[in-house]
Amino acid sequence: MSCREWQDRLQSYVDAEMPPQEMEAFRTHAAHCPDCASAALSLLEAKGALRRAGRRYEALPELRARVVATVRQVAPDEATEKPQSRTRSVISWPRWAMAAAAVLLLAAGLFYFADRSQRTNSLAEFADLHVATLASANPVEVVSTDRHTVKPWFQGRIPFTFDLPELQGSPFTLTGGRVAYFHQEPGAHLIFSYQRHMISAFIFRETPQLGIAQAAFSNRGTSFNLQTWTQDGLRYVLVSDVNAATLQELAELLQHHT
Amino acid sequence: MQPANDSQQEFESLALPLLDALYNFARWLSHDQSEAEDLVQETFAKALRGFSSFAPGTDFRAWMFRILRNTFLTSRTGLQAKLTVPLDPDEEAAAGVTWETPETLAVASATREALQQALSELPLAYREVVLLCDVEEMKYAEIAEALSVPIGTVMSRLARGRKLLRQMLASQRPAIIRKVDGRR
Repeated sequence: MSCREWQDRLQSYVDAEMPPQEMEAFRTHAAHCPDCASAALSLLEAKGALRRAGRRYEALPELRARVVATVRQVAPDEATEKPQSRTRSVISWPRWAMAAAAVLLLAAGLFYFADRSQRTNSLAEFADLHVATLASANPVEVVSTDRHTVKPWFQGRIPFTFDLPELQGSPFTLTGGRVAYFHQEPGAHLIFSYQRHMISAFIFRETPQLGIAQAAFSNRGTSFNLQTWTQDGLRYVLVSDVNAATLQELAELLQHHT
Repeated sequence: MQPANDSQQEFESLALPLLDALYNFARWLSHDQSEAEDLVQETFAKALRGFSSFAPGTDFRAWMFRILRNTFLTSRTGLQAKLTVPLDPDEEAAAGVTWETPETLAVASATREALQQALSELPLAYREVVLLCDVEEMKYAEIAEALSVPIGTVMSRLARGRKLLRQMLASQRPAIIRKVDGRR
């Protein structure tokens, strides 16, 4: 397929609506075509930016309580009845009950649901970053296999420091690094190679947005494996297509550096 | 309060987790807090009353969004908004979209406020499809279900809506449009 034809179909790629074989074919194409790779990357970034900007409003506890009250009052399938008006539902519910429901729902509902969707999305974004970077013509900004070159390069570029382990004697090689952004926060994106596979290691300062649960990710049915942990106030996320055991091996190396 | 029966409980467990998403969508449609709250409340009431007509195994989320949107379209703001929707240039958009990377970059690098401003100015027909796809991360089939339009229309409106957003943001902030591949 020509670049022109690919670019006409880029929307389906970015929205993950392409058949898997075609996605694979596009990745192969993008690996050799900086134009298509950068078009895909900027579209993915635009999509991510819109997702963050579009999540703007949250239901207030009062609304949640009102909705719960409505649901409990409307008998299912009374098609003729008008929906409860705001005033009626307030009156028929004692004020203390409204307040209690609001507090409970604020604690349980807001936390749980908002947080859970945030977590799943956070992880999806790391997978996006991983794919987008590998598809790019210049995946890394600092090209070096030497940890003593890569680590100082990040100084002044990110608001924290981190340590890198000695990889000699391990099956992993450091390829390089770049600055990555996650929710407007700069962090380190290191790329390791293992045989012919690439592994992305993201290091960010731990924030509530980054409080990540691994289980949420495996539910998404992506083809990536993922490892995440916190250490010294930093959140580490590894993303790769290598198997879980290999990823674990690298995770342990990163955890036990001294 | 009556004791909740089974179908009510099932409805609650399916529908309440969607509250924030539905409210967010309602705010983006109506641009007004109390109107959005009323829309959401009415949506839940209508959905519960019609819950027995909801076929298990089909897409509950799309069903809820469809009820919300239909409720909005028949509201006063909705009726006004509908009139201002431009003629659907579906065919024009489907004829092929070129990705001008500097424009796309304008979206990726725009501030959250600029993006929100552009999104709120986007005509309704495009705003809703962009919201469902990019914010709610629905699949095309799910969006088609929620909007009661064919998948082809979803795709062409998305392409057109995104293009409009890119143009709005690129014209707003010419300073940020640098050569994208300066690093190459």
